[in-house]
Amino acid sequence: MSTNGKNDLLLECRGIDKNYNGPQVLSGVDFSLRRGEIHALVGENGAGKSTLIKIVTGITNRNAGTIVFDGHSIPIEHSKNASEKLGIAVIYQELSLIHGMTVAQNIFLTKEPLMSGLPFIDIKKMNAMAQAMIEKYGFDLKATDIIDKLPIAQRQTVEILKALSNKASLMIMDEPTSSLTATESERLFKIIRMLKSEGITVVYISHRMEEVYDLSDRVTVLRDGKLVSVIEGEAITPAEIIRLMIGRELTEDESHHKMVNKKDREAVLEVQDLRSEGKLNGISFKLHKGEVLGFGGLVGSGRTELMRAIYGIDPFDSGSIKYLGQPYRPSVEKSIAGGFGFVPEERRLQGIMGAISITGNIGIPNLDSISTGFGFVSDTKELELSNQAIDLLKVKPANPDVLVGTLSGGNQQKVVVGKWLIRNLKLLIIDEPTVGIDIGAKEEMYQTIERLSQEGVAVIVISSDLPELTRLSDRIIVLRKGRIIKEFTEGVVTEEEVLRAASGIVDGGAK
Amino acid sequence: MSVSAIRRLILTGLLIAIGIALSVANPTFLTMDNLMTLLQEASLTGIVAIGFTLILITAGIDMSIGAVIAITSMICVNFISYTQLPAYIYIPIALAIGCVIGAVNGLFITHFKLPEFIVTLATRGILAGLALIIAVKDEQGFVKNVFIEDPLFLSLGETIGPVYIVTIVFFVLAFLTQFFLKRTRAGTNVYATGANPTASRLSGINTDRTLIGVYMFSGFCAALASIFLAARMMTAMPEFGIGSEMDVIASVVIGGTPFTGGVGDIWGTVIGTLFLALIKNGILKLGLSPYIQPIVIGGIIVVVVVVDVWYKAFAEKKATQAAHRKAMQSKEGA
Repeated sequence: MSTNGKNDLLLECRGIDKNYNGPQVLSGVDFSLRRGEIHALVGENGAGKSTLIKIVTGITNRNAGTIVFDGHSIPIEHSKNASEKLGIAVIYQELSLIHGMTVAQNIFLTKEPLMSGLPFIDIKKMNAMAQAMIEKYGFDLKATDIIDKLPIAQRQTVEILKALSNKASLMIMDEPTSSLTATESERLFKIIRMLKSEGITVVYISHRMEEVYDLSDRVTVLRDGKLVSVIEGEAITPAEIIRLMIGRELTEDESHHKMVNKKDREAVLEVQDLRSEGKLNGISFKLHKGEVLGFGGLVGSGRTELMRAIYGIDPFDSGSIKYLGQPYRPSVEKSIAGGFGFVPEERRLQGIMGAISITGNIGIPNLDSISTGFGFVSDTKELELSNQAIDLLKVKPANPDVLVGTLSGGNQQKVVVGKWLIRNLKLLIIDEPTVGIDIGAKEEMYQTIERLSQEGVAVIVISSDLPELTRLSDRIIVLRKGRIIKEFTEGVVTEEEVLRAASGIVDGGAK
Repeated sequence: MSVSAIRRLILTGLLIAIGIALSVANPTFLTMDNLMTLLQEASLTGIVAIGFTLILITAGIDMSIGAVIAITSMICVNFISYTQLPAYIYIPIALAIGCVIGAVNGLFITHFKLPEFIVTLATRGILAGLALIIAVKDEQGFVKNVFIEDPLFLSLGETIGPVYIVTIVFFVLAFLTQFFLKRTRAGTNVYATGANPTASRLSGINTDRTLIGVYMFSGFCAALASIFLAARMMTAMPEFGIGSEMDVIASVVIGGTPFTGGVGDIWGTVIGTLFLALIKNGILKLGLSPYIQPIVIGGIIVVVVVVDVWYKAFAEKKATQAAHRKAMQSKEGA
């Protein structure tokens, strides 16, 4: 593909400016896409990626700059519908399918095939058309499946089919792998390459540098609303992208981490043969003071279920737990009183209360220490605690009255973690500590976990992000089908080893 | 068989069982007269419930339905008392006013982004008050009982064969609405808007227009019921419909349309309406105090919702276990 032929360009944006009544979000950004390329768009949260995408798709309007798509000059007053008609599709981060409807209904929503000459939907024809598309791309789906019953990875393929049915020539994928397992991600990459071979241009937004490195033909890097660089070919390496994104290089120490044996320390938590039907099949492990114990495994391997049982959210059928040497029958109230902290997997659904201020979010699990007797809450004490947490984790903005829903993902996560740090914490369970947060905030989260471990807090980290897991953990336990399939205790564990164990490939054979 | 199909089967079975029990307990239950009256009662509630089902599918609520019935009947009374216009002129006008009220509700909900409950509660208050104000009064200022004499209007309260016209209208409207929901694009949009408004907008659905349409339809259904109620009573009172929300909501909920949106259909509502009418009729036929009616209805709502929630959790547990077993098998096979 020649680099200078104008006709190769599917999209050309020049000098895009955008401000939302004040802060300049984009200034003079150039962004171009070639036909049939996989183009990664990277940058830290707040770099302007989402805004740029929203402008291209017509969800928001730019203040200045020109956009040419497929030979059409796109006016400032652009709309989502207009961009869809031109062939621009977005595969959304928060999936945009309609629950309760079938795969076929979702694919053809608003453009259902009608009976000839009548305004009535031809359901048979619609299902047949959907099934034909599914088979053409070799997806593992049925046109009549109800969306609710499909796993997230398959829902994503439905979104892709929906875009294909719109004759999209440009597909924008925003963090498509954030809730996929490693195998599912691999399958998605295959689909993306297939789209490319059909001449469809794919814009790929991701925080996972390995994916960007593996997939992309070209990478556009944004920082603080400005274009930093467009790199291609050999120049694309994870280290280079990260350097461009954050403007510095990660040290060797930050990207590699050796296991540390802390088994001779005092045990904080002892779990013996925990069982729960369909979820846990006899799990035993010990966790020691100051140890960071990583839990790997695919989504559905029982990681989250295990932690929910230990924390006292879900009951279990049999097995025993000892906490600080004492037999322990978990309940959330007892866990909190006993010095547990729990950072759940789904921040928005389970972690934050978006419509409440930082102070309110931090105060809720700490009502014991901020109430004054007779059940009244002391505003002064609550504010004090909240300021303490804000300082400790450098929450931005450092304003305790700000509603948590308006914070960036990274700062929301700081609030969720922060509410536990101001307690007498002995055990912290973090499920997916850095999903959907930018690299800077990630690094701070890692440092917080390391600091806690130095202070003697026992930490359990669950993560699907393998570099994160190997970096943070002193020891790694890999779960599969509700059982411990492998434990790594020493040396440097590679991501590959963890992945093989999680997929059931142990010592050469599948298990 | 799907969960909702099983549920419907159970409800239909219960309907028949209660019917048989009632015919044994009281021989006057299983008479053509009583059954047709029962259906007539059910149809009046049912027509409103059809509109309300669409509202619930969009995850909304319409508290103004009762007051729409009241104001519509008072509008008719005013036409009768102060004009010489025939019923075929003012009945369509009254129906159109029902639609306009719905459109106003819908506009406040979509354009000003106000909560459905608050908007329709406010219109309920305003309309109920207006109905009293515009009611025709005598010299002392008391509400006058205006009798309907227009033969066309009165004929709406009659029967064709043994079946009341309102019952026929109810079933035809139910059939058309069900077809609309399942087989037209606009009907699909109603489900989509209720299931996930953001995703719907991103898919190109004009959710505002869908919502306004649904509230207009609800207003229309209430106005239609009002006309039939007046025709049956041969008069109209400003209290008509006030408080009927309870029966309407009960019918729809018993029929299996949840408050969470995106789910539900008209057949469920038809069965729910018949079920409720049967219970009410049964209370009378068993010679029980009519005062226990609302208690029984309230109790049924609680039982139905508890069973629904319990069954949903049970079905989900079954599904995860099945998925787990399937995953185990496929892994072991590989």
